[in-house]
Amino acid sequence: MSGSNIKITVKLIGPFINQLGFSEKTMEFPAGATVETVLSSLPLDPRRPRIVTRNGQAVASGEKLGDGDRLAISPLYSGG
Amino acid sequence: MYGWTGNILRINLTDRTHKVEHFDEEFARKWVGGRGFALKILWDELKPGIDPLGPENKLIVTVGPIAGIPAPNTGKTVVAAKSPLTGGYADGNLGTRVTEQMRKAGYDLIIIEGKSAQPVYLYIEDDKIQYLPADEIWGKGTYDTHDWLYKKYGKGAGVLSIGQGGENLNLYSMVRSLEGRAGGRPGIGAVMGSKKLKAIVIKGSKPIPVADPEGMRKLGLEDLRKVGEIDKKTGWSIQGTTGVLAWCNEVAALPVHNMRKTHHPDAWKIDGERLNNARVATYGCPNCTMRCGITILDHEGHESELDYENIGMLGSNLDIFELDQVASLNYLCDDYGLDTISAGAVLAFYADAIEQGAIKGDFRFGDAEMAKKLLGMAARREGEVGNLLADGTLRMARKIGHGSEAYAMQVKGLEISAYNCKFIPGMALAFGTSPIGAHHKESWVITFELKQTARDSYGPEKAAKVIELQRIRGGLFEFIVACRFPWIELGWELEHYVEYFNKTTGLNWTLNDFWKVADRIYALMKFFWVREFPFWDRTRDYPPMIWFDPKNADTDGPIAGKYLELDKYNQLLDHYYQQRGWDKRGIPTRKTAEALDLSQEADQVEKFTKLE
Repeated sequence: MSGSNIKITVKLIGPFINQLGFSEKTMEFPAGATVETVLSSLPLDPRRPRIVTRNGQAVASGEKLGDGDRLAISPLYSGG
Repeated sequence: MYGWTGNILRINLTDRTHKVEHFDEEFARKWVGGRGFALKILWDELKPGIDPLGPENKLIVTVGPIAGIPAPNTGKTVVAAKSPLTGGYADGNLGTRVTEQMRKAGYDLIIIEGKSAQPVYLYIEDDKIQYLPADEIWGKGTYDTHDWLYKKYGKGAGVLSIGQGGENLNLYSMVRSLEGRAGGRPGIGAVMGSKKLKAIVIKGSKPIPVADPEGMRKLGLEDLRKVGEIDKKTGWSIQGTTGVLAWCNEVAALPVHNMRKTHHPDAWKIDGERLNNARVATYGCPNCTMRCGITILDHEGHESELDYENIGMLGSNLDIFELDQVASLNYLCDDYGLDTISAGAVLAFYADAIEQGAIKGDFRFGDAEMAKKLLGMAARREGEVGNLLADGTLRMARKIGHGSEAYAMQVKGLEISAYNCKFIPGMALAFGTSPIGAHHKESWVITFELKQTARDSYGPEKAAKVIELQRIRGGLFEFIVACRFPWIELGWELEHYVEYFNKTTGLNWTLNDFWKVADRIYALMKFFWVREFPFWDRTRDYPPMIWFDPKNADTDGPIAGKYLELDKYNQLLDHYYQQRGWDKRGIPTRKTAEALDLSQEADQVEKFTKLE
């Protein structure tokens, strides 16, 4: 971890993998980064319905992240 | 009357006779089609308590008013009967060329009665009905059966068939169509097998009665193109339904180890990304521009078409994380004509019962080769083990004993689909109140529940969402008979289906008209169950008891230490019953029945139990 940055593992689900070109990677963000900080760093279509979870729990975009958190970003599936 | 042919083809296999009957517009408006038609016929014509595998049971094949017309995802047909697995009302829908061919042959409903003395298949071409010997295909799997019939009748024919599972009365055998399509989870294949009916082939040449044929054709083709474009833009069909596997693993909703666990570090090996990378072909239903049938080569080199349920139940739930082996199990289920969800649940329950010491046996979680052998034994009912496995988890548990019913993962006898609700109360309610036993097709609330409510709440908003989705998924799409995927996965608005319905029938319905039909159907499905099980109480709407057991809580991950609470689940059931106008037992009240134009049916059910 460099300086006061935090490391976040970003996991993409479904077609987001093809749209962004990766499935899972660890990224660095400044301490105090929120869910929105991570989302806005990714070229995702903001109009696309999605669900974001932190360590398996759904999170709001303003929520602060901690070092080592895992953020999964998924389209809003509807269960086949 | 437009939209419906008004024709019912009634076939008796015992004496090989048939006749065409007619229904009027009042019947059509009240029940619309598909599930509505099937339910009403079975309610009116089956005596309570009949043996589902006896000649008294009736196999229904039916479509809806927009089925088969060129419009988004209208290639579905409904099959229904009294279930030999659950003893209650049962149906399923499947994509098939039967849909269009049956409508062109001039029928909205086919009722198959009696039992043939010898194995037969039916050939229906417009007004011509033939009862043909099935000697050459009886005993064969569905792939060979379909090939044999296609050679004889051409690939454009509509074909429904059963495999060895249905022939041998495996209680979770299904009806097969096309490459990987199947329907009728609660043993509709066994009902077909009990009648010695191997297959149904349908060809038709008549026009489908549409009120505004030109307008509907233009609109339908344009909308098919638009749905295809939305799919391409969103990329949904890159992974299809299997995209949800990785998500379920993230949020602790994946079935692992007979649903004792909710996530697994090897889940990525069988996820949608790996599946897409292994893809060799893609298949879909007729009238579909968002094809979900991702096909890979299995361990033995067969093409096997997989979706999420297949992988969840035959993969992670069995601790099998080799995708080609999961594909092999899926291929065998399709060939034997077994439901992949129940088959996966049955094998997992068997391995679990052995692990718990409740029964002796050699099968262990993770053993793909043994799982293949066991599927064959279950399909053919070979020996004691094959017979045990062929009866589904609830009957297995009752034979095995030692408290194993608590971890037989079923509701009302039908095995739970691939969503582990250890700590997802709303989805547990969706399974609990699904009217054919636990099935995800009626209502799927997990993303709503996690995104818009507190996961640990048991509030009325969850019951309301379950009902809202039941009206749409288990109601609208099951009685107009169309695939729900454009709506649920691509956001294709429901108003489009109202427009298709109105252009086809010449009526002027709104969504509210559909919701009333949906509520009527849900009430009558419950009456069907109550008539079969007169001492009905709410415990039949409970999920398996292990989900309420603190000792079963996860020890790590997002829901460590969490479990469902029975008293709170009962509160959630109360909310559900109250919102539906059902009593504390979960039975529609007299007032509710009358508001839904079910007075006569309420009189009937009162011969079995007093309504409030």
